[in-house]
Amino acid sequence: MTGLGVVSVVGENVADYWASLVAGRSGITRWKNPEEKPVVHIGGDLSDFDTDLHFARAGERYPAPLVAKARKLLRPTPATGRITLPAALQAYLDAGLPDASLPPERFAHVLAGHNVNGNYVYQTGKAFREEPEFIDPLYGVLAGDTDVLSVVSELLGLQGPSFIVGGACASGNLGLMTAVDQIRAGRADAVLVTGASNDLDPPSLHAWMILDALSFRSFNDEPHRASRPFDARREGFVPSQGAGAMVLETLEGAQARGARILAEVAGVAAASDASRLTKPDQRGQVRAMSGALRDAGLGPEDVDYVNAHATSTPLGDAVEVAAIKELFGAHPRRLAVNSTKSMIGHCLSAAGIVELIATVLQLRHGMLHPTINQETPDPELDLDFVPNVAREARLETALSNAFGFGGLNSCVVVKRTP
Amino acid sequence: MTRDEMFATVKANIREIVEGTKDVDIREDQSMRDLGADSLEIVEVVSRSMKQLQIKVPRTQLSGASNLKELLDLFEKSAMAARG
Repeated sequence: MTGLGVVSVVGENVADYWASLVAGRSGITRWKNPEEKPVVHIGGDLSDFDTDLHFARAGERYPAPLVAKARKLLRPTPATGRITLPAALQAYLDAGLPDASLPPERFAHVLAGHNVNGNYVYQTGKAFREEPEFIDPLYGVLAGDTDVLSVVSELLGLQGPSFIVGGACASGNLGLMTAVDQIRAGRADAVLVTGASNDLDPPSLHAWMILDALSFRSFNDEPHRASRPFDARREGFVPSQGAGAMVLETLEGAQARGARILAEVAGVAAASDASRLTKPDQRGQVRAMSGALRDAGLGPEDVDYVNAHATSTPLGDAVEVAAIKELFGAHPRRLAVNSTKSMIGHCLSAAGIVELIATVLQLRHGMLHPTINQETPDPELDLDFVPNVAREARLETALSNAFGFGGLNSCVVVKRTP
Repeated sequence: MTRDEMFATVKANIREIVEGTKDVDIREDQSMRDLGADSLEIVEVVSRSMKQLQIKVPRTQLSGASNLKELLDLFEKSAMAARG
């Protein structure tokens, strides 16, 4: 892994993101445009993310020709692409690219996330009912998820295999797994994995509320307290916008071009519960985690830290803790477990990538970020969740979980590199 | 709505959408391709202009316009038909 990029509700670059995570800062607020969200009032809202301001703030860190090209590509692009493209650009530049030794046709692109333009589709549907002739004329191109993939590939000139991997909230890790497979199969020397932001359409928010999956009861006036994984007063997940991206390369290729290596992706795995339900299954989660460890040639005793999926739902967190205990033993003494979602909410299809970035940053900095909003311990959940305050820790190996509706379980193992 | 007003609307959209046209003199005998527009930008200029002018020209006719003059002719004809 040689490059990272992020746009989140707690920072629109890796340095600011890391500073917020260590400080335990929540990015959850009331919705900034609440008129179409009558029941669900809170979330991670990037609707006011302004790419022009972002490019201005980035200054000389972004080469002027790439900024000019990005502005042209983004002008008609809906929110998802506008949030996602800067994260991809950051990861590319962070990896020291472009580099003549890495030919564009050997550079693949995997977009993690599907159905990511839901709000744009919903708004255009409303306009269509008023007057079909006056809908956004580019809907035929922009509504498809491939457009987010393609604007990024066009900006960076990535000409290798390029496609989307979707798997609900497991999309990020599934995308990363697929990227690793591309490299292992020899189809590419490098892969950009882009976790696309969601644009959170009102019907989906409302429907998740109906399923009782969201936090919508107790914390509407204190949104920063709503995402509270593992805490006894957790009520549901807090949906959030955000995008992340990372560059993966073969070890030989990265070393040959003198790239800075941020971490090693040691193992990846996915497992299905064979179930359409939203209900998590401990067995599938254990199979995904143990599969990733087996892929890495490691055992549970080698793991120092787990970045949990931990969405703050009553059942989901309990099942994941039970799965971790099953795999790591009844009382895994030196294992730290935390939830990035406690601060940034649930970035849905981007969650796996955005949280793997947090995981890698913790390995590199020798510091665990907290799980915030730990106020009332749940007696059933008794692991070390790094409650409320960051702390230093020597971390060599970490595991990052991402689980999705429909019984999808995925896990990535990363190792610190010198 | 005069033809001059229609042309002003189309020109404003070209200048906003097509890169490098901000300070260029735009004439009726030019096509948007001449001005550097790609296929998506042409669709966007035409559709946005029709929406702003509240004109609906059938898509089958629009593809026949080979320059801005012919596009404005279609716009004018459609506006007159709508007025009856």
